Amino acid sequence: MPIQHIKVLRNGTDEEELKVVETTGLPTWDADTKFTVVGRPQSRLEGLEKVTGRARYSYDVRLSGQLYAAVLRSPYPHARIRHIDTTKAEQLPGVHAILSSANAPDDITWYEEKSKLFDKTLRFIGDEVAAVAAESEEFAQDALRLIEVAYEPLPFVIEVEAALQPDAPRVHDKGNRVDEPTIYERGNAAAGLREADVVIEQTYTTQTAVHNSLEPHGCTAFWEGDQLTLWESTQGIFETREQVAEKLGLPEHHVRVVKEHMGGGFGSKQVPWKQTVIAALLSKQSGHPVQLMLDREAENLAAGNRNATVQRVRLGAKRDGTLTAILADIQVVVGAYMVGGEASEVNGMYERLYRCPNVRTEQIGVYINAGPCVAFRAPGHVEAAFALEAAMDELARALQLDPLTLRNRNYSEIDQKKEKPLSMPNALQVCYERATAAFGWQTYQRPAPTGPKRRGIGIAAHEWGGSGQPPAYAWIKLNGDGTVDVVTGTQDIGTGARTGLAQVAAEVLGLPIEQISVHLGDTAKGPYSPTSAGSSTQASVGPAVFAAAVEAKRQLLEVAAKLLEEEPERLEIRDGVVMVEGEPENKLTVAEVTGRLAPHMIIGQGARGPNAKDKTIRTFGAQCVEVEVDVETGEITVLRVVAAHDCGRIINPTMVDSQVFGGITQGVGFALTEERIVDEKRGLVLNANLEEYKIPTVADIPQMTNVPVNLPDLAANPTGVKGIGEPPLVPTAPAIANAVFDAIGVRLRHAPLSRRQLLAALATQAESIDKSAPPHTQEGQS
Amino acid sequence: MRPFDYVRTTTLDETCQLLGQDGDSSVRALAGGTDLLTLMKKEISVPTQLIDLKRLPDLPSGITSTAQGMTIGTLTTMTEIETNVQLQEKYPLLAEAAAVAATPQLRNMATIGGNLLQRPRCWYYRNQLVNCWLKGGDECQAQDGENQLHALFGGGPCYAVHPSDLAPALLALEATVQLRGPGGERMVPLAEFYALPEEKRRQETQLEKDELLLNIHLPGLPAGTRSTYLKAMDRKVWAFALVGVAAIVRLEEQKIVDARLVLSGVAPIPWRVTAAEQALVGATANEATFAEIAEFALADAQSLSHNAYKITLAKSLVRRALTMLTDEG
Ligand SMILES: Cc1cc2nc3c(=O)[nH]c(=O)nc-3n(C[C@H](O)[C@H](O)[C@H](O)COP(=O)(O)OP(=O)(O)OC[C@H]3O[C@@H](n4cnc5c(N)ncnc54)[C@H](O)[C@@H]3O)c2cc1C
Ligand code: SF4
Repeated sequence: MPIQHIKVLRNGTDEEELKVVETTGLPTWDADTKFTVVGRPQSRLEGLEKVTGRARYSYDVRLSGQLYAAVLRSPYPHARIRHIDTTKAEQLPGVHAILSSANAPDDITWYEEKSKLFDKTLRFIGDEVAAVAAESEEFAQDALRLIEVAYEPLPFVIEVEAALQPDAPRVHDKGNRVDEPTIYERGNAAAGLREADVVIEQTYTTQTAVHNSLEPHGCTAFWEGDQLTLWESTQGIFETREQVAEKLGLPEHHVRVVKEHMGGGFGSKQVPWKQTVIAALLSKQSGHPVQLMLDREAENLAAGNRNATVQRVRLGAKRDGTLTAILADIQVVVGAYMVGGEASEVNGMYERLYRCPNVRTEQIGVYINAGPCVAFRAPGHVEAAFALEAAMDELARALQLDPLTLRNRNYSEIDQKKEKPLSMPNALQVCYERATAAFGWQTYQRPAPTGPKRRGIGIAAHEWGGSGQPPAYAWIKLNGDGTVDVVTGTQDIGTGARTGLAQVAAEVLGLPIEQISVHLGDTAKGPYSPTSAGSSTQASVGPAVFAAAVEAKRQLLEVAAKLLEEEPERLEIRDGVVMVEGEPENKLTVAEVTGRLAPHMIIGQGARGPNAKDKTIRTFGAQCVEVEVDVETGEITVLRVVAAHDCGRIINPTMVDSQVFGGITQGVGFALTEERIVDEKRGLVLNANLEEYKIPTVADIPQMTNVPVNLPDLAANPTGVKGIGEPPLVPTAPAIANAVFDAIGVRLRHAPLSRRQLLAALATQAESIDKSAPPHTQEGQS
Repeated sequence: MRPFDYVRTTTLDETCQLLGQDGDSSVRALAGGTDLLTLMKKEISVPTQLIDLKRLPDLPSGITSTAQGMTIGTLTTMTEIETNVQLQEKYPLLAEAAAVAATPQLRNMATIGGNLLQRPRCWYYRNQLVNCWLKGGDECQAQDGENQLHALFGGGPCYAVHPSDLAPALLALEATVQLRGPGGERMVPLAEFYALPEEKRRQETQLEKDELLLNIHLPGLPAGTRSTYLKAMDRKVWAFALVGVAAIVRLEEQKIVDARLVLSGVAPIPWRVTAAEQALVGATANEATFAEIAEFALADAQSLSHNAYKITLAKSLVRRALTMLTDEG
């Protein structure tokens, strides 16, 4: 029987102290558990609504008297507003409210207090200058043109190296370094390098990538008295509520945040942005509902991106491949501001993925005058993998080892940072085995080159969090007709959270999934659940639903036991029928039990318990890639990707496949085409649109295979589930880069692997195309 | 987008008159709108009136075979060009070029006339915050900026590349455009119709403000002519050409008797490399010849800071196109 009690009160910042709920006595789904709903493909419960266009997204909200807002954005990468005059705009018919630094509250700050809601200093093209609410989007645009602003342009800096010069223009008064460098060292890295027989030393760079979710950021704000409702495209309805309440000085129960359906966020919607509060204020000022959705350009300029990085990597190894040192000096280009939320931990993978006694990482953040970065699907890890996994490949070549052998030789079974065991020490091993077996890594026969086309294969691995964590809460309500409402304050960010949670409830309650409805995405209707980030929704909220369902079932069986004149312990529910063990005749349907009880009802409450403390819970994965490179035109074609990812227990194989295929797709874009292009002389973003910011099309996507790795991790939670949302993107790009090298003997160290880079590299290394030439020699090899 | 009036006209004369009406260029013709509307959204084009050409009864649409060749009405969609069976047979080059242009949705909307008259995709030109030379400003920001997509030939003052895939194919086919102005009609070879923008005419064509494009005429091709359009893109589909090659070759006993080579994505207008064509005539079709021709075709290319890779790319495509077209089998 689950007992919930508050163990430690929230005090201070120690992570361990923050766990307020202990859930004991819960059954667990161990490896031998037999399932009827869990582990089976289940199409999405909201699928029909979506494909028929009925699902309501933030853009679809239409309220009586609704106004439309537009934002005037800075045309300069760095400027001060000398004067702003909105008189003419105010006089335009159809305009109801205007906000700017001239009239907006002065005490609302943003970006770690480095900016006000409407600041007089603008630090990137796209920074908010003013906002208008009018009767149509067109009126609002017309009004923006009538706002007169006198700007004083200031010196600016775009390029990271320039930004680090002592006399560089300053993005912020204190300079362009976000903070002191974060330094980590274990063992003695310098000594480790000296011990090495072979040293690889290379610098890799990754680009600024933009999330470009199909659904842009934005919300519709509406006041009823002093009650504010926000239909917001967000990954965290409670986080949004808390922040908006704080910024506007409102009690939390006066703010309601709703998110029914979402067209992706990928991290960019895990923090509230200025426009949410702007919409709320415009609504207050006008007395009308106000919808403020970003257009594609604003989405590209001012709604977050993946930070570019420069990573100088040094790896040292013995002849047999044993790593003696890993060193990484990392610059993270954060844009004009830090937005809070998940920081990009580029250093983490260097410290964890491989067994190595001597590791040193140094990471600094650098401000430049461009749009701010924010978490983007596996922040830090995607960037780190591109460098580390390529460096490992270079090391393997230098040692004339198979890249897989090198990885196995340096396999880590423990959390070396915390010196704790991993909850699933062999998970990565399983991923390697399944991915390479399904791919045919060991037996791969390179086809003879056809004309200018060369084939090659590459492998890369990763590790990531995704354990999920408390707190998260859920309620299960059993209705009189035996149907079930699952209520929780999480949100479905497009991943299919409703379906995964319904499967958990259906399994525990022994009911067909058709009898379950999941209600989420509304702070006024469901209990707290965390922001959907860090691949944690199913792993955080699933166990809360599990606990609630266990509790509801306990109550249900207690009632059923009375009706059947039996002991509850002898009862089981299967396919909606309560049965007595060994007495097939003695049974009642769940609907009969709840019907007898109605209108009294059964309510199960559940909370997410803490993770095991004595172990570190991580997720792992590996991908193998085959590419074809046309050495004359520099065209790279990704032919196939085979992925194996550890995500604990698989609740719904179809949805896991979706995450893997989506991740690989984004990985192909990151590897080959996606890059924000900024003119450094002018600070202009030149491709703030989907024509020139090139996401992969269906024709660019390779054949993808996801090999299921179903390893329930009970250290994480009783359902054994871990996350899969972010990881599949991580190894794709380095595996592609490694495959390109395998195909043509040319190493591309800068993402994306553009034609420009490839053709230039081919021109200088033309001789290495010939596969019969001696193995590519490493620069920096000692 | 700024407010504008939507106008329908009934005759060609009336349309031309309206187009030429005033001093500033505030009346524009609207065909499929796939280029014009995007320019209007960015306020690069700010017409006060739009004349809907698709509702103009006298404006030709559709594909007709003539004694020798073919005539294509300006309103013919790119999808029709891609899928018309007669056209596919007679001018596979054009159908091929249409098939790799834009996306199916765009091809359904876009007209061939609009395609030939579309404006450059230069990302400075398309940026609302920049008033570059082509838009009437003083300087070309691409020249010292992010010019990886820019011109190798004919650059200065503008280094934008012509975005059309149909134009290089039509130029190789030696098409003529039929234009109509207030004073009547004129026939202009496509080779003259496209002209590098200059101080007083900051556009890529000779089309006058009050002129309409009516038809595109294609002359016949001798039997045995082979052709292809190769296009290198940043991704597999839905991208403008980094470099493209429209190539036409006729062989007699392994000797090349006729050759036409037009490059796209390398100049402000589709770029015919006549000297290379001439060098091909009489040459024996083999790898060595093609490598030389490729070098020759790109000999005058002038790269900017970021686009030298296009030279390699163009050479490869020229070689590949010629090899494909002369491959026996
Ligand atoms: C995302 C995207 C990708 C694209 N990719 C490609 C590509 O890969 N290859 C390619 O070739 N093209 C590409 N295009 C361009 C597209 O093909 C053109 O936008 C289209 O062909 C223009 O035709 P339209 O009928 O829509 O012209 P509109 O936009 O209506 O008109 C374009 C111009 O032509 C003028 N005009 C049109 N008809 C006449 C006439 N009869 N007389 C006088 N003036 C006229 C208009 O006034 C306007 O100035 C792409 C476009 C987009 C938006
Ligand atoms: S290349 Fe032409 S269109 Fe581009 S910025 Fe220069 S002048 Fe303008």
